[in-house]
Amino acid sequence: MTSTPVDPPVGGPPPPPETPKDGASGLGSRRGRVVRELVRNPLGLVGGGLLLLVVLVALLAPLITGYSPTQVDFDLPFQKPLTVGYPLGTDDLGRDVWSRIAYGARASLVVGLIAVGLAVAVGTPLGLAAGWWGWLDALVSRLTDLMLAFPFLVLAVGLAAINGASLTGAAVALGISQVPTMVRVVRAETIRVKELEFVTAARSLDASAPRILVQHVLPNTASTIIVQATVIMPVAVIGEAILSFLGLGIQPPTPSLGIMLSDAQQYIFRAPSAAIFPGVAIAVICLGFNLFGDALRDALDPTSRR
Amino acid sequence: MDLRNRRARGPAPSLLAAALAATLLVAGCSPVQPRQAVEDRPDVTDVLADGAELQQGGELAMGLSAEPDVLDPTTSSSLYTRYVMNTICEKLYDIDADNEIVPQLAADLPTVRRGGREVEIPLRDGIRFADGEDFDAAAVQQTLERHLTKDDSARSGEMGPVTDISTPDDRTVVLSYDEPFAPITASLADRAGMIMSPAALDELGDDFGQSPVCVGPFTFVERVPQTSITVEKDPLYYDADEVMLDEITYRIITDANIRAANLRAGEVQVIDTVSPQDISYLRRDDSLGTLQVGSLGYQGVTFNLGNTDGVGQPPGEIDTPLAQDPRLRQAFELSIDREALVNSVFNNEATPACSAISPDTPYATDASNACPEHDPEESLRLLEEAGVETPVEIEMTVSNTPDTLRLAQALQAMVREGGFDIEIAPVEYSTLLDQQDRGDFEALQLGWSGRIDPHGNLFGFVVSEQPDNVAGYSDPQVDELMTRAAQEEGTARRARTYGEAIDVLREDLPIVYLYRVTSLTAYSREVTNISTYADGVVRLGRAAYLADPDDVADAAGEGE
Amino acid sequence: MGRYLGIRALQSVVTLVLSSIVVFLGVRALPGDPARALAGEEATPETLAAIRADLGLDDPLPQQYLAFLGQLVRGDLGTSVRTGQPVTELLAATLPVTLWLSLGALLVAIVVGIGAGVAAAVYRGRWPEWLANGFTLVALSVPSFWLGILAILYLAVGLGWFPASGFVPLREDPLRWAYHLVLPSVVLGTALAAVVMRQTRASMITALSTDYVRTARAKGMPRGKVLTRFALRNSLIVVVTIVGLQLGGLISGAVVTERIFGLPGFGKLTLDSVFTRDYPVIQAVVVVVTAAYVVINLAVDVLYSVINPRIRVGGSQA
Repeated sequence: MTSTPVDPPVGGPPPPPETPKDGASGLGSRRGRVVRELVRNPLGLVGGGLLLLVVLVALLAPLITGYSPTQVDFDLPFQKPLTVGYPLGTDDLGRDVWSRIAYGARASLVVGLIAVGLAVAVGTPLGLAAGWWGWLDALVSRLTDLMLAFPFLVLAVGLAAINGASLTGAAVALGISQVPTMVRVVRAETIRVKELEFVTAARSLDASAPRILVQHVLPNTASTIIVQATVIMPVAVIGEAILSFLGLGIQPPTPSLGIMLSDAQQYIFRAPSAAIFPGVAIAVICLGFNLFGDALRDALDPTSRR
Repeated sequence: MDLRNRRARGPAPSLLAAALAATLLVAGCSPVQPRQAVEDRPDVTDVLADGAELQQGGELAMGLSAEPDVLDPTTSSSLYTRYVMNTICEKLYDIDADNEIVPQLAADLPTVRRGGREVEIPLRDGIRFADGEDFDAAAVQQTLERHLTKDDSARSGEMGPVTDISTPDDRTVVLSYDEPFAPITASLADRAGMIMSPAALDELGDDFGQSPVCVGPFTFVERVPQTSITVEKDPLYYDADEVMLDEITYRIITDANIRAANLRAGEVQVIDTVSPQDISYLRRDDSLGTLQVGSLGYQGVTFNLGNTDGVGQPPGEIDTPLAQDPRLRQAFELSIDREALVNSVFNNEATPACSAISPDTPYATDASNACPEHDPEESLRLLEEAGVETPVEIEMTVSNTPDTLRLAQALQAMVREGGFDIEIAPVEYSTLLDQQDRGDFEALQLGWSGRIDPHGNLFGFVVSEQPDNVAGYSDPQVDELMTRAAQEEGTARRARTYGEAIDVLREDLPIVYLYRVTSLTAYSREVTNISTYADGVVRLGRAAYLADPDDVADAAGEGE
Repeated sequence: MGRYLGIRALQSVVTLVLSSIVVFLGVRALPGDPARALAGEEATPETLAAIRADLGLDDPLPQQYLAFLGQLVRGDLGTSVRTGQPVTELLAATLPVTLWLSLGALLVAIVVGIGAGVAAAVYRGRWPEWLANGFTLVALSVPSFWLGILAILYLAVGLGWFPASGFVPLREDPLRWAYHLVLPSVVLGTALAAVVMRQTRASMITALSTDYVRTARAKGMPRGKVLTRFALRNSLIVVVTIVGLQLGGLISGAVVTERIFGLPGFGKLTLDSVFTRDYPVIQAVVVVVTAAYVVINLAVDVLYSVINPRIRVGGSQA
């Protein structure tokens, strides 16, 4: 089951690569090959370029915008795009839409990173443990079942009710929703790697389980985790938009792409353009991650190429 | 794979390119368009047929902005329930376009005796409930007693300290009090005055709201949860020949712009609570008309002055300059430009408010209408005098609806000049109610829907230890004046007493009033005879389709 | 086989019970209580006390939970605090809306997804593939609610081709029922169509390169017949599995779609109930969603083990 938070925007976890990989020793040469593959893939380059662009805009937001994203000008609401000084126009409170998008991209990336971090930090150890120790597997599986079955929005609203709407709150809710898929993906990888020769060898040498897991199994699941992270990023970015749309996202006046969309819907007949730009920005971010993630998956696992 | 790079330049990247091109063109193309001058719009409360011929029959659909709660006059606490009840449950009294109380099921205004301790209500004759039961004093008595005694009644407070309800004859009801309670007539012009059929009450008991039976031009048919409520014409209604429509369906459509889209698409003929952002757009449509009327309620910022142990408890000590020193709150009020706020956030479809009493009601006085001018410099001076560092930081808790968030952000930007730095804490509505009750806030953006009698807008909010005194405010003089105002006779006298109390409140400012919403209703010009008054309720009891398409065209011609 | 099903059923029950406990405790941990949310701006201490007592909120937690469980087993989901209507009635009114919407979205996803997937696999390296792949990427990158807003803005209000919102029950008017469902179904189904397209394309490519398909082609079997008889049928199995698994996500995705298109569905009921702390409704909603998820997964598992008997017991589907 894919655990998409609210819509099913992505095709679920990528199938774990089927090719048997070498032990940790093979990593160095593989890394070189992966980079070469990535560079040779035009789609990956486009994706990477989009991501680079988004990251630059987010990082350099103060330098490339003319106004603070929260600067209200009561005299200049609803300026049309391509107005002097306001390339994308202004919103209902006379704030610069371009500036809000640049800073909103920042918020989206932060939410995505926190969500990915949480999913990795919680999902990886659980997945490793469940894959390694059979007796834990049943327990962890029931837990992930529960998390997948539990309606995500009820959880998100609950968290927002307890902590109030905030960037971290939204990111945590999204991260939690992504834990189960991460667990499953890592678990499946662990089960596969566990049977590989070098691992069985390490076991016969009486190495302790945690040591084997960290030294041998984890490095071999790394590529799966990275690919899964590129899947989670766009899910989290869209998830933030949805939560903000429902009033559970980021605390105003901090701009976020979701809040901008939710605001714009209030005056959509009056200023349709205000609803277009943030949506395009979200699409660009997600497209970047999807393209790059696809290319990365292809590069990491040549047999999955189509 | 090799050719996939082409498809990457799909719609999204090309739009991105456009957006980027736009940002590079900082020189831009069109000059800045300053805000357009605003026009003041007088209240429009009715659209009437004016002699045009009406169509007999027809079905009307109204887009309702919120789902009503239980359709039981005793326990209902949602204001939107009144929209539906209006066509199926008439009241002893009603309000008119001038906010005066007029009899509806009562034959006349009440006679007050024994210094206000006895209120005698004469009833109309020859009226029957939708189930054929007679409308008489016993029925009124049963309803009013249910309001007082039902354990989950939301009406008991509105009824005041009633000691006895008697029926000297079958056309007269007498309410007795230990102390005078002047607001009772206004209460009976609201849900407390909706009289329920005794037979239905006996049969349904607590489930009355599932199938309500009252006196009204229409009678309840069915309710589909979250979707609609349908009512049909009641042939037993005393003025049945004035009722034209066969059926009204209230369709619940919570999003304002979707409600507007449905009206334009002809799926509904009337919508309430039009968004101020949509109204100018709808006004441009010749086939639509709009009604606008100032509401009796208000929106404001409530400061926590002493709510430490929960609302209704004796006030505690809050050791912040904001709670201790009224000068800070006065400065806060001075740094708000109400006109600009109303103008920017509500497109001028609201009016500035400076007290709890609407200027449109008979209780308005010079004291209640007075309003301090926007003066950020004076604000800074007051803050300096109070010896606090600027900017003064205030955490303002607000509900997380888009409208409220926009208001909060506008307010935040506005008071900066006057030396305040608002931090917005958005929470969802249920949490807001909880925090307000527990006193877990510094400042709170809160509104009140408003009552026709000032008692309902002030007493509970500012008198010590009252259930809605969220601020934890306590002032013996205000307590005394408020209590006196509720017992005095005569509008003018009561208005004067309320004015005195408001003068005190204006110094202490537990609540800074901001604005009053304008109830905006839009309708298709195919229909007429629709009214909405200051209580916001859209009255559809006499609504009808115009018989002649030419009249529709004429009606459209009258538009802007 | 029987043992496998038994274990899976038992696991499902455990998930259900756990979820009911989580939601039961969860709603009670939320700030704000239903009595207060219900009484709204007109709360008096007496009303609050009466409502609390009526809901049994003053009883000890274990007792409340057992009462809830007891009701559940009897098929009684309690009464909505807010509207006073039985929760079963609320579900009966809202579930069909969401089911129709989900089925509509599924239809869109299957028709568009399989069509595009087959086209992409058959015309590899030519424009149908680029188009299908481009569609997939964009569909996966655009938030569905934004798509919904744009659809309302341009297709419904701008061009007037579709109604902007609302739902007409099937029994009332089948034509208008379908008409009202078109836009929301397309909006909700787009992302799923992308997923289905990817899967179809991948499994079609695999199937087309298998020996028996090559053999069939070599023996002169017409191309269309090869496609439908071997390749498509084979890839359908994968697609059915994916669709089954996505159904849960579809139902939760319906929340936002319903909100945008003003559909009185289950998703809207969910949000409203959480916002108003309508405990009985929240509990019922979570139990229903969990049960639906569990049942769908069980069905998919069974289907899968029927199709592919080699599947191992114990491991949950990967």
